[in-house]
Formats: sequence, C-alpha cells, structure tokens
Amino acid sequence: MKLRILLADDHEIVRRGLCSLLQKHEGWEVCGEASDGRVAVEMAKQLKPDVVIVDIGMPYLNGLDATRQLLQHDPHFKVIVLTITDSDQVIREALDAGARGFVLKSDAARDLVAAVEALQSKRMFFTPRVNDLVLAGFLEKGHAVSRSAPPDLPTLTAREREVTQLLAEGKSSKEVAVLLNLSTKTVETHRSNIMRKLSLHSIRDLVVYAIKNNIIQIQMPQLRDTPETTVA
Amino acid sequence: MAVRILLVDDHPIVRQGLRTLLEGRSGWEVVGEASDGIEALDKVEALRPDIVVLDVTMPRMNGLEACRLIQKRQTGASLEVLFVTQHDSPQMMREALDAGARGYVVKSNAARDLLEAVEAVSQHRVFTALTRIPHASC
Repeated sequence: MKLRILLADDHEIVRRGLCSLLQKHEGWEVCGEASDGRVAVEMAKQLKPDVVIVDIGMPYLNGLDATRQLLQHDPHFKVIVLTITDSDQVIREALDAGARGFVLKSDAARDLVAAVEALQSKRMFFTPRVNDLVLAGFLEKGHAVSRSAPPDLPTLTAREREVTQLLAEGKSSKEVAVLLNLSTKTVETHRSNIMRKLSLHSIRDLVVYAIKNNIIQIQMPQLRDTPETTVA
Repeated sequence: MAVRILLVDDHPIVRQGLRTLLEGRSGWEVVGEASDGIEALDKVEALRPDIVVLDVTMPRMNGLEACRLIQKRQTGASLEVLFVTQHDSPQMMREALDAGARGYVVKSNAARDLLEAVEAVSQHRVFTALTRIPHASC
C-alpha cells in the first residue's frame, strides 16, 4: 500500500516542485494539496494521509497552528514542518506544536525525502541545528528542549491565535467572522480579549506581535549588496 | 527550433517546480539551472539560452545585478530575461525592467502567469503581472 502524503504550501510553484520530488519515490503518492492552513486541516481530516507536510508561512492559518489543530484532532498525524528559517524560536514552536520533522525550505530538495523516510520508519527528522538545540537543552536542563512556548504565547487560546492571524493579515472583524463561522460580536470579543491579554493598543501593535511570534511571516524586500566588481 | 530556457533561483525546490511547469510545453527546453547570479552569468555564457528565468533575491549576486551584466555582455539581441520573484511591488518591477528584463512575474502567481510570460518574452514582447494591480500584458 502506498504512503499517502498531503502537501500544504501557499505557493503553487513550490507545491509542484515538492510533488515532483516526492512522486519520484516509489511507493509514495501525494494524495492532496492545500494552499493554506485551514484547507490543510480540513483535507487532512478527510483524507487521513500518512504524512502531512506544512509550510509555516501560510495565509488564514499558519503551519504551526495548523499542526496544533491537526494533532489535537488526531495525535497520530505525522507532520513535517517546512520553514524558511531555523531560528531558536521557530524550532521551539515547531517542537511544541508536535511536528516530527523539520526541514528548511532551501534544503527541501535534499532533505525532504529523508524526512518522509524517517517518519515512515517511525523516527523523527530534524536539521542539525534543531538537534543541537535539543541537545543543548538536554545538557543544560537535564531534559529535552523545553516544551513551554515563548513567554508571551501561552496567553492566547488556539481560537485567539487564529483571530490574531486573520486580523494581522488585514481582515476586518466581519471578514474574520465569516471565515471562522462566528458572529461578528464574538470576533469583537476575541479581539478585545487579545488586545487586553497582550497589552496591545492598535492593529499595528497586533501585526508586530504576530510577526514577532511567527503567527504571520513576512519576507523583507532587501537585496544583498553585490557590487559589479565581484565578477570579472 | 526549441526555445532554450535557463532557470535561476537559489531554492532547488522552486527550480524543480518551474522546470515541471515549463517542460510540459512542447517547443520549450530547460537547458540548465543556476542558484545565484554569478553562476547564472557562467551558464548564460556556456549554454546560450534564449530566455533566462531569474529570481531577484539570491546569494552572492542578486538577480538585478545579474540581469544588468547579462544585458551588458550580450552581443546579439535575442536573449531575454524574465523575472520570477516574491517581490510584489511596482517599484521592484520598475527596477527589473530598467535592468533590462522583458518580463516580470510574482512567484505566488507563477503557476498562473509563467507560461503566458515565457510565450510573450520569447516573442520579445513585454509581460508584467503583479498581484496588487490588474493583470497587464502588452
């Protein structure tokens, strides 16, 4: 029986690349593709794939919260997180969310097959940097990396984090209500609870919080300095 | 004769996605790949592609600089540069066109726009498409 994989990334061109990579592997099939975290969670519940590969930076619901929702629904889901950065905070959040694999997007062509193979064999797959962090945590604290999230994260419920992401993406309370199938009044209540809990005073503050805590990801349009003199 | 295409992006998985998309089209051939601007210049020299599909943000040398050098070094007028980038801004698109590119496509829409863009650019027509403004091709 084939190993069934669900792919979630908001860039179709990346999904095509991942699909092409994974389907070359005999005995594996990509059973579904999702372009945001909410669709990924719904598809995973329906399709019950053996492995779910989620990008962290997705609209509507980011990959980390999608992972949390999936594992809350069924702890047997095996999730590999794809990320553009392996900062300590992202690593801790991915481990905390319950991901069993952690692959840098830039290394996906090299590492993703190995990661899926590891999960298929009931092992985990992490980048060397994740392994270093886990080991450092073990040596320093006498146990594996702390399961606790960064200081200001646990104050929000899963629903509040969803609302935070959607508001930070620029959606109005009404739009959030439609997306989450809630009343506008309920969303407004979530919104004021979020602002109060986090001591925020404006949507701008909320956006900054969301970026700092990897609820949304942005890539700065800065270019590396490459003077013409670098080539002959 | 096939349109010869060079793919330049620092993420191999993106190159793979672009390749999958382009190779489905008869008459187009992906002749090579490069992972940064400097490698792109070498491959342009060695492979003589008709179109260079170029990312903007890359290590060692970014796509804008590579594009300027490709234009400066080319002797014939046949080679065209098409940017496929995450930068979804009119300013960046202007910089790309000023650097000598003939086309500009935003990565998140590449699956939708790339084939049309390559088609246009291969005929030396300008193709630009941002997500924030209406689709424009001329």
